[in-house]
Amino acid sequence: MLRIGIVCPYAWDIPGGVSAHVRDLANALIRKGYYVSVIAPAESDDDLPFYVESTGKPRAVRYNGSVARLSFGPLVARRVSKWIEQGQFDVLHVHEPLAPSVSVLACWAAKGPIVATWHSSMDRSRVILSLAKLAQTVMEKVTARIAVSPAARQTMIEHLGGDAVIIPNGVDVQYFASAEPMDGWGAEQKSLVFFGRVDEPRKGLAVLMSALPKIRTVFPDLKVLIAGPGNCDDVLDELSDEDRASVTQIGLVDQNEKPNVYASGTVYIAPNTGGESFGIVLLEAMASGTPVIASDLAAFKRVLQDGESGKLFTNEDSDSLAQAVIDLLNDEEEQERLRAAGKARVVEFDWDTVADEVIEVYRAVTVPGLTVEPDMAGQVLGRLGRLRILPEKESDL
Amino acid sequence: MNLNSWQAFLIISIAIWYLSHQAGRLDRLHHRIEVSVAALDGNLGRRAGIVSELANSPVVDPVTSAVLAQAAHDALAVEPHDLVERIDLETELTEVLLASLDEDDEVAEWRTDIATSQLLDDLTIACGRVHLSHTFHTDAVNDCLNIRNQWIVRFFRLAGYAELPTFLKLDTRLPSSLSN
Repeated sequence: MLRIGIVCPYAWDIPGGVSAHVRDLANALIRKGYYVSVIAPAESDDDLPFYVESTGKPRAVRYNGSVARLSFGPLVARRVSKWIEQGQFDVLHVHEPLAPSVSVLACWAAKGPIVATWHSSMDRSRVILSLAKLAQTVMEKVTARIAVSPAARQTMIEHLGGDAVIIPNGVDVQYFASAEPMDGWGAEQKSLVFFGRVDEPRKGLAVLMSALPKIRTVFPDLKVLIAGPGNCDDVLDELSDEDRASVTQIGLVDQNEKPNVYASGTVYIAPNTGGESFGIVLLEAMASGTPVIASDLAAFKRVLQDGESGKLFTNEDSDSLAQAVIDLLNDEEEQERLRAAGKARVVEFDWDTVADEVIEVYRAVTVPGLTVEPDMAGQVLGRLGRLRILPEKESDL
Repeated sequence: MNLNSWQAFLIISIAIWYLSHQAGRLDRLHHRIEVSVAALDGNLGRRAGIVSELANSPVVDPVTSAVLAQAAHDALAVEPHDLVERIDLETELTEVLLASLDEDDEVAEWRTDIATSQLLDDLTIACGRVHLSHTFHTDAVNDCLNIRNQWIVRFFRLAGYAELPTFLKLDTRLPSSLSN
């Protein structure tokens, strides 16, 4: 069985698409009997799963329009090198290699079979480009590239050329299938759920909030549940007192509560305005049995099959959102149909299926007898010590 | 204007650093190509191994069996065992597979035998891995040639004695009867 080292650049214990992806992939691989070790920044060393190694507390940095918690510095670099040296991995799987964090450090410190997964799709901005130049030498070491969506693949090609295999995100379908509404929420009263960092403009909470007055003229008893870390008082303060009273904010949600949060809504709303390459939240909501209304971003359209398994509205248009919500809340048959369609759709994205595809990539790059080794050339002294530039021969392969 | 000695020193240091940096990149890329060749080599070897087992299956008709065995043997038996030299033979093996496994009905018949069915599944997986590792090898060669073609790299011979990497032309199509 392969020994797999996985690198997650974002904080393990802060909810986020990439860290959730890494966690679910690691769990699926472990279920299939592989040896897995994950290295990631973590706010606290308590409650980490047995397979996670922490690089310490991350620092908050703005990146790709989000506030990301990244980890870097000499101490972190040493921990990463040590982890690679001790891990004896057959393959190193690095996530989001452009994030200036543990992933870059791991690429620097290692050589051998390296797989990289690209998560974000982002516009070609100057900030990213300069980082891409910096990371280019790192990316040249990557043996195989995976993108989670056509959009993420496109971003990667624009920045670095080459190509990537597309393997979508997975959803732990069983985990979400047992979702129950939280106390005080549920079928009796109509409600909407929003999930995501609330102070991040591209998550689109403002679009939902400006649609709210119009929706509440039709459904005065409607409640809104907002889950996710951050402070959104500036958005909520623009609401009238009555509208504001219909909104409940529960802040950061514990991983175990997540399915129940999705299930607490009559409808799940994803008003994201951009920067989403996949839309895992939609699949999670659908797996929890909640119909979805989402902005018509390319990634969302793909997941929702152009409106077949969830409703779409015009991006950043709160009137269009309000109309879609009103129509769906009025049509219980359509809600029922969407629940069934959603459950059928998520099976295609179950982690056990997705992990098999990732394993095929591992198998394509691993070489028996060759493990991931520390790369001395990544360190200045190692480079100075070399006289001739000849690739090392592995004659016993 | 006179160049102070420390200015000269600075410029030369930067130049040396840059050259060493480029050389380091090339070194990493050559290493990556070696790894990807080894992976492709291994996957091709496994594929040929499965094909020769399939040729020995009792349910496969003697003519198909002979054709498969010959192609697999050719791919496995080249001496010295160098991938670059036998890449055409591997493509021939692909072509033989495409030709012999193109009839869904025939293959469905073979699948009634459990051991053969298992071999066909293994073959599907092996072909998929060959395709992936070939893609990754092509990527690596692309990255490397981009740098090897820079004039500064050629002028200072930063690639040292490393040979210019070549693309491996390989047909990795999957026979239609295996693609489901």
